[in-house]
Amino acid sequence: MRRIGLRALAVPGLISLAILLVAVAVPLLPLADPVRQDVANRLAGPSAAHWLGQDEYGRDVLSRILWGARVSLSVAFAATAVAAVIGTLLGILGGYFRGVVELATVRVAEIVLCFPPLLLALLVVTLLGPGAGTLIFSLSILFAPGFARVAYGETLSARALDYVTAQEALGAPTGRILVRTLLPNIAAPLIVQFSLTVASAMVLESGLSFLGLGVVPPSPSWGLMIRGARATMEQAPLLLAWPCLALTLTVLLLNLLCDRLRDALDPRGRAAGRPGFLRRVLALPAAAAPGASVPGLLAVEGLTLQVPGPAGPVQVVRDVGFSLAPGETLAIVGESGSGKTLTGLAIMGLLPPAVTPVAGRILFTGRDGSVRDLLRLPEREMRRLRGRDLSMIFQDPSSSLNPLVRIGVQVAESLRAHGVAEGVKGRVVALLRQVGLPDPERQAMAYPHEVSGGQRQRVMIAAAIANHPRLLLADEPTTALDVTVQAQILALLAALKRAEGVMGMVFVTHNLAVVADIADRAVVMYAGEVVEEGPVAELFAAPRHPYTAALIASMPEGEADRLTAIPGAVPQPWAMPAGCRFAPRCAMAMEACGATSPALAEIAPGRATRCLRWKEMA
Amino acid sequence: MSAAREPLVRGEGLTRAFRRRAGLFGRGVPVMALRGVDVAVHRGEALGVVGESGCGKSTLGRVLLRLMPPTDGRVLFEGEDLAQQTASRLRVLRRRMQMVFQDPYGSLDPRRTVGAQIADGMVIHGLARGGEAREKVAALLRQVGLDPDHARRLPHEFSGGQRQRIAVARALATQPDFIVADEPVSALDVSIQAQVVNLLADLRAELGLALLFISHDLHVVRHLCDRVVVMYLGHVMEQGPAAELFRAPAHPYTRALLAATPSLRHRGGAANPLVGEVPSIAAPPSGCVFRTRCAMAQPRCAEGTPPLAPMPGAPARQLACHRAAELAP
Repeated sequence: MRRIGLRALAVPGLISLAILLVAVAVPLLPLADPVRQDVANRLAGPSAAHWLGQDEYGRDVLSRILWGARVSLSVAFAATAVAAVIGTLLGILGGYFRGVVELATVRVAEIVLCFPPLLLALLVVTLLGPGAGTLIFSLSILFAPGFARVAYGETLSARALDYVTAQEALGAPTGRILVRTLLPNIAAPLIVQFSLTVASAMVLESGLSFLGLGVVPPSPSWGLMIRGARATMEQAPLLLAWPCLALTLTVLLLNLLCDRLRDALDPRGRAAGRPGFLRRVLALPAAAAPGASVPGLLAVEGLTLQVPGPAGPVQVVRDVGFSLAPGETLAIVGESGSGKTLTGLAIMGLLPPAVTPVAGRILFTGRDGSVRDLLRLPEREMRRLRGRDLSMIFQDPSSSLNPLVRIGVQVAESLRAHGVAEGVKGRVVALLRQVGLPDPERQAMAYPHEVSGGQRQRVMIAAAIANHPRLLLADEPTTALDVTVQAQILALLAALKRAEGVMGMVFVTHNLAVVADIADRAVVMYAGEVVEEGPVAELFAAPRHPYTAALIASMPEGEADRLTAIPGAVPQPWAMPAGCRFAPRCAMAMEACGATSPALAEIAPGRATRCLRWKEMA
Repeated sequence: MSAAREPLVRGEGLTRAFRRRAGLFGRGVPVMALRGVDVAVHRGEALGVVGESGCGKSTLGRVLLRLMPPTDGRVLFEGEDLAQQTASRLRVLRRRMQMVFQDPYGSLDPRRTVGAQIADGMVIHGLARGGEAREKVAALLRQVGLDPDHARRLPHEFSGGQRQRIAVARALATQPDFIVADEPVSALDVSIQAQVVNLLADLRAELGLALLFISHDLHVVRHLCDRVVVMYLGHVMEQGPAAELFRAPAHPYTRALLAATPSLRHRGGAANPLVGEVPSIAAPPSGCVFRTRCAMAQPRCAEGTPPLAPMPGAPARQLACHRAAELAP
């Protein structure tokens, strides 16, 4: 991301640098004197001696453009620099201290914004008389509030961050916090503001010079050149074109630089990848046609997902397989980076653009009894399945509901999207009642922000089960909730499972205790692979993979004085250990574990483990 | 009370109100995050503060460190009222009390090296600088189980668990007596949580630190803490020695909280999940704030707020419930 940003910066950055260098080096260049008049050759066209021609006093236009750039740029840069220093200072102080200081800094600066900028500049210039110094002074007054606003806004959001509070907790003096901690972290938008302001300062400088209120003749300036050329526009139109062109190109260039700078400094980077409808079919080898008789509801086989990495593609999910019977609840347990969420999203056909499936198949038995490979299903057909045969509950109920649409309407949408037209309202109320929303008739009219987090999750569940899905995928549905509410939602899901009978559920979570609560079977994932699988009761009572055993032992439920911690951290996807991926953290690892990658071995019906030494755990 | 029994940190009648703006020009209604909370942390003691979101546990931690002033009540550090201190004296006291935050990604400055951030406290308080500070940073990194060479790296080069270790090292750099840890493990992966919990337990034993451990995870609190305070909507509902409180929870809320916590040991979920959700803190119920969800609520619970009083038959424990007499073990 970072490197892409820098490359995009190179072109506008280098051209800007070249312009700046030329402006600095103008006195050293073999140019004609910009103020030496040659009235005999006034308005002469381009010639070998005067490449861009001569102006109304016979002065060299090229020389005047370059000298003018020097004046325009130095006025613009100086004014912007002064404005940046003053504005940033006011903004940081106002944003950090708030209250009276905010009133005295940011709010006072904002008063300047109430005046039309040109009028204010006219006022200052009229009072102080024209000249480059006055120009810089008036332009910096005009542009300082812009910096103050940006610095103020950024400071407000930065000061709420923990690392700023951490400095306060350390007892750091305020000045130190402002300079060492706040300033570097709000610098990026200020730099962007700087290049933007230079561009507008150049335009304003030219405008004021054009009006005769800026640079004093005969000093060259683009605004003065436009003013001079205007009088002779009919005889020598080119004279007007040159300074206009110089001004336009420079401003455009600065704006481009500013856009690229914004992209490069934004740590989130830009979204990359192909749109959804293209990605699914690419890079995926054809698989054997789904067999006529696949038992169960869902069978994931050899699923392998890949993302582009700095050194070639990286497999974030490798050879994952499991199956689900109707009415069964399967938990996928794992830590961050285990690939559990991506596996879930692959089933729904909702993989993010950067992730490509490269092998495997996902066989799903639809309502009509036909078996389809979800991994290869065209997006159009997938969309018909989603929300009807397949539905999903997300972790964060507040960001997965549309805040501007009433709750009832959102539940109704999922019904209407799949062809239900009759009695929608009654169905919605019945659904909301089924998920335990109190007073469903009235709550259906509420907006998402008017109900609590737990209630929002109930609404999400109501929308998900509206069409009696065959498969419900729940991705960490209780992680964002308080424990007492989590208990309610788990009880609700258990009740739904009983009511819906044939609905299968895949429950993605990191919480082993929740797995024990809700699931029939569990798949334990580590670093993109399934390491163990089995019925929940057996898995927890007698784990057959050291990772599962270590996870259980690390839960602070026992009476032991010290928790059994797993040393180290989950390996990064681009730096996977050669043999068994858990070996570097495993207490039972032996030499062979580092050399060969163990296969997932079935050790009993419905029970599998990926460990060379599982027999010793019995 | 003798000097030896004087707690290191004591909060008396702590109340903290926030203004929540109502409408575009509204004056704002005060939202009471803390209401008359009394709390004491003794030297070398680990006090756990548990409760659901909005119960005021994070506010309590910040008020005790005077990262925000209490609206009412006072905080005494070794008997000195923090509100009475001059800014420079407060800064000196800050050396002795530190904080570890929940989010190890947000609590470290992304643009400065880990070593510089750990050294900050030492430099600010004039404890060490230059080469001496570098040596101390290396020793601290070793103490929290990291490689001393890591000091030159930036935070984004570390995993969540490692960052939390760095945050702990930063807090330890000023040799504090008191650390507030606000949900220090809840943002970490399961396999990493145990590492950080063990680290905190070891450091406490080694350095004799007093620890205020704020968490919503009852299992972790039970494991790490000597004493526990259970909070609900800005009030303390129950407090007492961790072992007793978890073995025989007395307050209906504590009981419900324990029952709702999923466990590997009992399958099939909570027997009687608590109905409803935590009421809005802007409009808390009258009387006992828990009564709207309490299975034992009676008409009198709506009338007065029950005071936190020693539990009949167990003087080490305190309970805020109108029916305390019936709840005693």
